[in-house]
Order: sequence, then structure tokens, then C-alpha cells
Amino acid sequence: MPSPMIEIDKVCKSFGEFQVLRDLTFTVAPGEKLALIGPSGSGKTTILRILMTLETINAGHIKVDGDHLWHKPANGNLVPADEAHLHLMRAKIGMVFQLFNLFPHMTVLRNVMLAPMLTKRTGRKDAQSRAMDLLDMVGMADKATSMPAQLSGCQKQRVAIARALALSPKIMLFDEVTSALDPELVEEVLNVMRKLAAETDMTMLLVTHEMGFAHDFADRVLFFDGGKIVEEGKPDEIFRHPKQERTQAFLRKIIAAGHRV
Amino acid sequence: MEWDWNFVWQILPTLVEGVKITILATLLGSVLAAVVGMGIALARRSPNKFLSRPVGFLAEFIRGTPLLVQLYFIFFVLPDAGITLAPLVAGVIGLGLHYGTYTAEVYRAGIDNVPRGQWEAAKACNLSAPQTWTRIILPQALPPMIPALANYFIAMFKETPLLSAITVLELMNQAKSVANSSYRYIEPITLVGVFFLVISIPSVIFLRQLERRYSGRPGR
Repeated sequence: MPSPMIEIDKVCKSFGEFQVLRDLTFTVAPGEKLALIGPSGSGKTTILRILMTLETINAGHIKVDGDHLWHKPANGNLVPADEAHLHLMRAKIGMVFQLFNLFPHMTVLRNVMLAPMLTKRTGRKDAQSRAMDLLDMVGMADKATSMPAQLSGCQKQRVAIARALALSPKIMLFDEVTSALDPELVEEVLNVMRKLAAETDMTMLLVTHEMGFAHDFADRVLFFDGGKIVEEGKPDEIFRHPKQERTQAFLRKIIAAGHRV
Repeated sequence: MEWDWNFVWQILPTLVEGVKITILATLLGSVLAAVVGMGIALARRSPNKFLSRPVGFLAEFIRGTPLLVQLYFIFFVLPDAGITLAPLVAGVIGLGLHYGTYTAEVYRAGIDNVPRGQWEAAKACNLSAPQTWTRIILPQALPPMIPALANYFIAMFKETPLLSAITVLELMNQAKSVANSSYRYIEPITLVGVFFLVISIPSVIFLRQLERRYSGRPGR
């Protein structure tokens, strides 16, 4: 059993009075594809945001690739991580957002080239050829010189995936990446993710309402409710034979809303 | 009271000298206000409360007191503390500081208008704070604020006659000295108005063009 890529240990997180995560503990193996499902407000997106260091934690510990994320060792003790440590840790993680968040004032190509050039001192030529390879992989090479505003939502999201891949992360986080897209075109983005899973050994965490995709894509599914993991298991166990009352109720509601499982 | 064209031609060169100083003070004051405003806006956003609070208080203080009083303070009071400034230097500092507190609000609004997702994407791309500001946030925040900034610079231009109070030989001061020595006010003061109008009308037209050019914001 290889050591885990992500270890989340008794993590708590509150926004004011509202406790989003309660003593959350789970691990993710290297290369594992993990789907996080559950009602909104259950804390699943917050986990991704904490891993990307967009949110802090109130208690607990997180290890990524063997190193503490929010802490660092100093004289045998753990102290809160400083910006330099977070900078090192962030390089291992890429994130794709629900609303794409492309940089609107740069071409598609510049969007993908920017992070390697600024954070890894990659030369312009190398950054450009790597960016073109990535754009080719997501099927957006012919739009390299377009501005983001000229693209459809699906095209933006494919560029956003290429941008997140540009730093060669070990972990990719997908936060409801198809929720803001035209339903008919969602497959374009899902196909890119399938390809990514088939061609790389990256660890992937996805928060999604696409239950059909989660079923096919994930190695393991975590069902969240009220800041805790209510049930976890292989996709077939969760989607076909859920044991917990709350999981069953959630899946019934999702199916009633027209999502296929 | 009669309009005397001969007198007009006679005083015109003196007034033109004044116009040059007025324009110089406006340009230097605008540059200073643009820089000071950016400094105030960034300092007020700082997580360090020992920086953001005093700067915020100072900015409110400057905005809440008249420019004329500030000019007097810089030119007539600071020498008591051993800081003696040339009139034009004192005037430019006064204009720059005073309008800097206004442009700071323009910067603040412009920066706040950049969606939160841009900050998060910059962090996910592992950019440092300075890289995030210079590559992501400011390039998006600045273009939409150009018309508002230009508006303040035109307003500043029309307030430069206040500099005559601290002996800057700008247009108004030249006109006053001409008037005082010849006991004729109608020509010099009318010409002051004409000069300001001749400069501000094209400026306002230019401002409208800026507004049209930058009103459309790039999409996400």
C-alpha cells in the first residue's frame, strides 16, 4: 500500500457560526479518482478550496504528498505555514473552477503560458510549446490566439483545464466544472477529463452533480452531508446500493431533478 | 467700463506665462495624485492594521479639509518645522495629496470590481502577491477607471487658481497682478475664464472619448 497522496486528519472549518466541516478525516491514494457528492452546503467544495489554500482551516492537519499543507515543521514542532511553504505546496495542486476564471485580458495561449513562466522561470519558447501541447490535448489549439470573451463556456472550461495542467500538478481539483455549462455541451468537457484520467496518473478530486459521470469516472465516491462523510464506497455501492438513509434520499432527489445515474 | 483690445494684446504674453505654469502644475499634480492614490488604495487594503488604519484616517482627514487650508499649511506652516518649499513644489504636493485621496477611491472601486475568481485563479496558478497585482488585478482594474481619473484631473485643473494664494505665478496670479497694477479687471479676469474654457472643453471631449472606449469591459 503506497503512502497516501492526501491525508485529511480531523479537519474543522467554520464560516462564522456555521460549521462547514466537522472533524473530517479521509485519505486519497496516489492516482485515485475521487468523487465528492452531496447536497449544497455539505462542505464538499470547501475541501477543494482548502486544498488549493483558498480557505484556511480552524483545526486538524492536512498532508499532501507527504508534507504538511497548512503547517510546517520547525524545531520538532508544527507551526503555521508561511507564504513560502504554501508556494511550494501549491505547485503540486491544480484547480479548475465552476466559473472558469480565465484571465480575460490575455489570449488563450497566454493564459496557459503565464504560470510556468512566472513561477517556474520556464523560457517563453518552452512555455509556449508546452502550452500548445496542452491546448491540443483539450482540443483548443486552434483558439490559441483568441481572447476568452470570444469562447463558449465549454471552450473556456477546456482552456481552464489546460491552464491548471500547465504546472504539471500531482493533484487536480475539479469544482463543479460542468455546472455553469450548457447541458448539451457538457460532454465536451467530460471527455477531456476522461482522456486526462486515461493518459495520466494524476490524483483527481471532483465535486460534481453529474452522477452518471461520477459513476463511470471515480474509483471511489464520498457522500457528504452536514460537514461529514455519511457514506463512502465504490461507485456501484453508493449509486446502486446505498446503505444510508440520507444517501438514498439525496440520490432520489437528484434523479427526480432529471440527472441520470 | 469698456473692453480695450490694445490692453488685451499688451497683457497676453504675461497671461500665457501663467497658463504654462497652470498646465505644468496640473500635469505634475495629476501624476502625483495618480501615484498617491494608488499608494493609499493599496495601503488601505493591507492586512496589516498598523498600515491600513493610519493611512485610512489620514486620507479621510485630507479629504475632509479644504485644499486652500492644506496649501497654506504646506507653504506657510511647514517652514516653521524647517521644511521650506518653493511655491510651485508646495502647490503640486498640495494638489497631488488632496486629489490623491479622491483617486484612491477610484482605484478602490476599480480593484473591488475585479471578480473574486480572478484572485483565486491567480492563487491556483501559484502567482505571488506582486505578480497577482501586476499581471492579473491591475491590468483588469485600471482601464475602466481611466475616465473617472481623467475627470478628477480636469477638476484639479480648474482648482489651480487656489495656488495663487501661495504665490505660485499661475494664470490667476498673473491676471491679478496685471489687474492690480493697471486698475483694469475686466480684460485679465475675462481672459482667465477664456483660457480655462479653451483648455477644458477639448479635455472634456477627450474624456467622453475615453468613456466610450473603456465602457465595454472584457468578459470573464
